[in-house]
Order: sequence, then structure tokens, then C-alpha cells
Amino acid sequence: MQDEQSLVQSAREGNKEAFAQIYETYFDKIYRYVILRVGNKAEAEDMTQQVFVRAFESINSFRWKGVPFSAWLYRIAHNLVVDHIRREKKRPTVSLDESLVVGNSEPHAEVERKLDIERMVSATRQLTEAQREVISLRFAAGLPIAQVAKTMGKSEGAVKALQHSAIAALRKILLVGEDRGKG
Amino acid sequence: MARDKEFNNILDDCIDRLLIRGETLQQCLDSYPEHSTELEPLLRMALAANEAVSVQPDPDFKARARYELNVLLQQEKSKRRTPFLSWRPRWAVATAALLVVVLLTGGSTALAADQIMPGNPLYPVKLATEQVGLTFTISDVGKAELYATLADRRVAELDYVISKGKPHWVEPTTERLNKHLSMMAGLHLGRGPEITPQNGQAAREQTGRDDQAIFVPGNGRARLRGLLGRFSVNHPTKLQSILERAPESAKPALQRAIEMSNASYGQILKDLD
Repeated sequence: MQDEQSLVQSAREGNKEAFAQIYETYFDKIYRYVILRVGNKAEAEDMTQQVFVRAFESINSFRWKGVPFSAWLYRIAHNLVVDHIRREKKRPTVSLDESLVVGNSEPHAEVERKLDIERMVSATRQLTEAQREVISLRFAAGLPIAQVAKTMGKSEGAVKALQHSAIAALRKILLVGEDRGKG
Repeated sequence: MARDKEFNNILDDCIDRLLIRGETLQQCLDSYPEHSTELEPLLRMALAANEAVSVQPDPDFKARARYELNVLLQQEKSKRRTPFLSWRPRWAVATAALLVVVLLTGGSTALAADQIMPGNPLYPVKLATEQVGLTFTISDVGKAELYATLADRRVAELDYVISKGKPHWVEPTTERLNKHLSMMAGLHLGRGPEITPQNGQAAREQTGRDDQAIFVPGNGRARLRGLLGRFSVNHPTKLQSILERAPESAKPALQRAIEMSNASYGQILKDLD
């Protein structure tokens, strides 16, 4: 398997297998990042495709300047998400997507899983934009902290602090939700 | 400050060890006994968050997306430039395809839309027809009427799929229904500029449409109010009847659609008053 830099270089030179390999590497991660941000399966599917269309159309404009290719890809996804959220703010809230339930697990386990995903999407909406971005990149996309920092254009120290505050805030939000559910 | 920084580093190290290297929570806590009380709840939250977001794209969608990528790459290879309609979002490709169909058939495809139900090979064309209609409807009143009409079609489709024992179509259909309702309710009809016969004429010239909803705001709004008033009662009632016949697996999506229907019609009728 080629390293990322030579893979991207091959893709820029028109090697379709190289672009397909990039696509396979990042598709699921980009999808998870997007679905956590938008909370709707159909929107996440369309936006994930759009990320790769844009990447394909503009891969020649990508330059290695100490920033990994993944950071550039997540930047495209981030911009699409921000545009989407801006448009959605005009509209009434739609409840979270039923179709977030996935997998072939047992019915009972599936319900548990669905609740977790719904609560996560709902809880992250109460975080600050920067905290939400850290959670999405770190957990949904599964990026190491150094790449999260490069994607967000922040220092690693700042991202670690954001990660700490985001996890603490999530815990607080979810605990309050549980208490309300019991009460 | 230094303590915070140290703790942030420890937390990050533990998250890496748990999520990337597959170590256990106890192993991490044992490495930092002086911080274990503070670390444990945060790491438990991190593990729960990681598990919650571990969704996978739908295999059908992934297969379709991969196919479309291959088409794009093949076209690029043969033409060495990006074709105009390559690998766009589904609706864009479908819309372009439909324009060709409509031009060739003189619009007869659109006339048959009510008979084309989910699962029919022409169903994507029907959806694309609707997208064309939305693209060429300029006024908010016209758009609201169109969204309401589309919502009515989705309700009829839900009735069909349940009566035919195809509950797997309920979820994508309610998803579309909710989207129409959400778009409709977000139109801000009470605050937008009035369409006058003058700017209506400009819209007519631009779109080539002879649409009453565009040109006569007074009549258009009255007609819209009548339509929405009817649908605000009919749709939740029909959806409730569908819900009662639906299998358990389809009920949550239908329940959500009923709630969305009540909320959206309530909001837009309030805007119109």
C-alpha cells in the first residue's frame, strides 16, 4: 500500500486507482463526521458524496504544506456542514433521524444503540462549535490529536483543552438528560 | 494552569490508549493513580461517545456511491476533463435525466406521477420531476403549495407501501415527507415581500411558467390557506390510520411524521394569518 503522499500525488496525476484508494480509506470516516454534525442519514449521504466530488475536482489545488491530506478533506466536509447548518437555521427543527439505527444487532441492542446515537447528536448540539468539531474529528472521524489540531488550525495544547472541556460538557449534558428522564 | 495542561495531556494519552491501542480503562487508570478519580468519568464518557458514533454507512448507499465514483473516474480518464454531469448529488443527475425525459415525452411522465409508487423503476424519475418543479417555482407561496402537494403524495405513498406489505419503504418516505414539511414551514410567508403583478411578470418571463401562485399573491395566499387547512386535518388523520395498520418496526417513523405534520401545518398557518 502506497503512503498517503505518493497516493495523493498519483491521484493528482490522474491515477484513478489512487483516488479510489483515498476514497475507500476516508469514506466511512467522513460519513461518520458528517452524520454526527447533521444528524440526518439522507443529508449525510449526499454530503459525503459531495465531499469526494469536491475533492476530486480540486485535488490539483492541494499542496503539501505540513498539513496532512486528511485535514484538507475534513476541511471540505466542515465547509459543507457549515453551509448546511446555515441553511437549516431558517427551518423548524426536525426530530433526529430514525434511520440512524444501523447494523444487524438484536432488536433490544439496536434500541440501546439508537438511543445512544440520538443522544450523542442531540448532546453535541449543545456544545460550542469548536468543542463539537473536536468531538466529531476525534471520535467520529477517529483522528489523532495532531491531525485534529492541523485540521482545525489550532495548537495541540488548545485542542487537548477543548477535548477535555467537550467531554466534561457532554457528560454534564447527558447526566442532566438522564435525571430529567428519571424525574 | 500547568496542572490543567498536564491533566489534558494525560486525558489525551488515555483516550489514545483506549480508542487506538485497545487498552482497557483500568490499565489507563493504573498508569495515573493520582488522577484516576477525575479521569474515570471522563474516560467512560469518551468510550460511550466513541461507541455511539461508530455508525457505518448503509451498504446500498456505499455500493451506489462507489459505482458513481467509478463512472466519474472512467469519464475523467476518457475525456481528461470533468464532464458537466459527472457524479453530482443524486438529485442533480436525476434532474438532468428527467429534463431529457420531459422534453422527449412532452411532460406525460409528470402526469403519471401519482401512479408511480416506491419500488417502481420510474420512482426516481418521479422524485426528480418534483425537484424540477421546486427549482422553477420562484415565489414562497408557490413553493409552499408545491411542498404541501409533495407532502400529500408522500402520505399517499405511505398508505400504498403499508397496504402492499412493504414497510421497508416507510422510513425513506417519511424522511422525504418530513423534509417537505420542514422546508414548507421554514418559508416565512408572513414576513416575505409581497409578489406584485409587476415582479410576477418578471418571474413569468424568467421561468416561462404561467403559475397563478406566482402572479396573484392575494388569490395565491387564499388558495394556499385553503389547501393547508385541508391538509392540516387530512394528513395527520391519514397518517394515524396508516400507523394503526403498520408493523411495529414502522411505527416510530410514522409517529414522528405525525408530529412533524402537526407542527409544520400549525406553524405555516400561523404565518399566513
